[in-house]
Amino acid sequence: MAAVATPVRRTRRTGRGIFGIMFAPVTLLIVLFLAPMLIMVQMSVVRFPPNVASGYVLEHYRTVLTDPINLKIWWTTLYIGSTAMAIMLAIAMPLAYYMVFKAGKWELFILLALVLADELAPVVKIYAWQSILGREGILNWLIPGSPIAWLLFSRFAVIVTLASTYITYTTIPIYAAMKAIDFSMIEAAVDLGAGWWTQARKILIPLAAPGIFIAMILVYIPMLTDFVTADIVGGTGSYMMGQRVRDLILSGGDWGSGAALNFVMLVVSVVASVFAYWLARLNKIDR
Amino acid sequence: MAEVARPAGAGVAVRVPAGVRARAAVNTALWRLFLGFTFLALFGPLVILLLFSFNDSNILAFPLEGFTLNWYSVAWQDTLLRESLVNSTVVAFIVAPVCLVLGTLTGFGLTRFRFHGRGLIGGLVGAPLILPWEVIGIAALMAYGRMHIELNLRTVIATQTICTFPLVTAIVSAQLFRFERVQEEAAIDLGCSRLQVLRHIIMPHIASALAASAIFAFTWSFNNFEISFFTIGFQQTFPIWVYSSVRNPDHTAVVNAVSVVISAVQVVMIYAALKLLRRGGAASALGIPSEEEL
Repeated sequence: MAAVATPVRRTRRTGRGIFGIMFAPVTLLIVLFLAPMLIMVQMSVVRFPPNVASGYVLEHYRTVLTDPINLKIWWTTLYIGSTAMAIMLAIAMPLAYYMVFKAGKWELFILLALVLADELAPVVKIYAWQSILGREGILNWLIPGSPIAWLLFSRFAVIVTLASTYITYTTIPIYAAMKAIDFSMIEAAVDLGAGWWTQARKILIPLAAPGIFIAMILVYIPMLTDFVTADIVGGTGSYMMGQRVRDLILSGGDWGSGAALNFVMLVVSVVASVFAYWLARLNKIDR
Repeated sequence: MAEVARPAGAGVAVRVPAGVRARAAVNTALWRLFLGFTFLALFGPLVILLLFSFNDSNILAFPLEGFTLNWYSVAWQDTLLRESLVNSTVVAFIVAPVCLVLGTLTGFGLTRFRFHGRGLIGGLVGAPLILPWEVIGIAALMAYGRMHIELNLRTVIATQTICTFPLVTAIVSAQLFRFERVQEEAAIDLGCSRLQVLRHIIMPHIASALAASAIFAFTWSFNNFEISFFTIGFQQTFPIWVYSSVRNPDHTAVVNAVSVVISAVQVVMIYAALKLLRRGGAASALGIPSEEEL
């Protein structure tokens, strides 16, 4: 290596180089990302935010964590999120299996379609479900009898729409994990007479487990804070945590509780992501 | 690989003992049904919007009433809509190049240098990708409020930038990881200057990844709802216009028409980006294997 000849000069240049390279991005991240996070944390412990002079209390956290309304909303959010998650896993696992072991030349096509479906006009896509689930939508038109009212502006609508929104992020980690499975294992199981359920239970699911966990974490995080879906296709029974935080701050002007709740979400997201990262490292699927 | 050319399921069927051909056929049919259902759930809503955009009625109701191009001309004349499209385009045209520069610099720094605090900075760069946009948006809203900074397109651009450039970093880093450092060192040993190495060795190698990340940054910014929602003042971006319009029944047909046009443009852009990524192999940043891996 050239560095051996002039070690001192090289290190010094590298040192200055890295400073020049990282200065702008890191400064921007500190000013526009880290500082706002700290201000948010500060607001969550100020008695009457944004008036910092009013003193510091942990009152907002107590309110946020014990208020029965919030507990009910947490429950609704978890219920909606988990049902959507169950639907997504029921679709993503066979889909990932198909892509890895059966799709052949279509594997890439399906993958690209998934990415495309995810990147395409998010708000518009949510709104499009109105035309499917609405009173005069395509489903009620196809199903005979009087229109089914609970299809739209309900928990059901939110669950279906969330599931279709986040299916890409559920499928890709599971796909990546299954990609690493040796097909000869499944062949051996088939030769020994294992049915599809035994294959799935004894081979596929255990070996794809880290991918499944990562998918769940990746999708739970944005789902718990999603407010657009519930706004557009949800009803009174589907009021979610994302909407609650937004309303506390924008409609209620309650920065203290809003910031505290937002910080709780931040902590949950960070803990979950660190866990996902650790799982990925453990299984070397974070390419 | 003769098996690849066969229809789906056939590769497995060959190995199964004889007499289960009928079951294999049922199997294939079930898989097709499943895939059809999945694609319907993914793209059905957009296809229905396409249909309704040509429908001669203002309400989203089946059956369709007749063909018209009226909504496209109504959309074209809607000044609020036009303003929101201009705003989104302006924001995306500023955010994308800035993110390209910041993201590439960060990608270089994190993959090509060893320095103190590298893990910490890596975590800081990755954090905006992991945290929900609502959390970031609300924190930004509070910070701007606290600092008495007026909310407008500039605040949208600022906060979108720090949420989007880490995506560029992820894509560019994935490309740089695949690149043999030896080539750079060989060029230096042969007397190339740093700039020449950049120009002749590194740039050709990452050019397609850069182009693709520029497109992704653009669509991310253009489509971003949450960040813009919390950091914008009285103006509207396109996703915010859609969000406020779908609650107004008079607007639905116009939303359909303009959404069809926007989606068509984005399909082309994203397809191009994915093509570019696969050529370079950096698609692994998005979980997509490169051409040689398949």
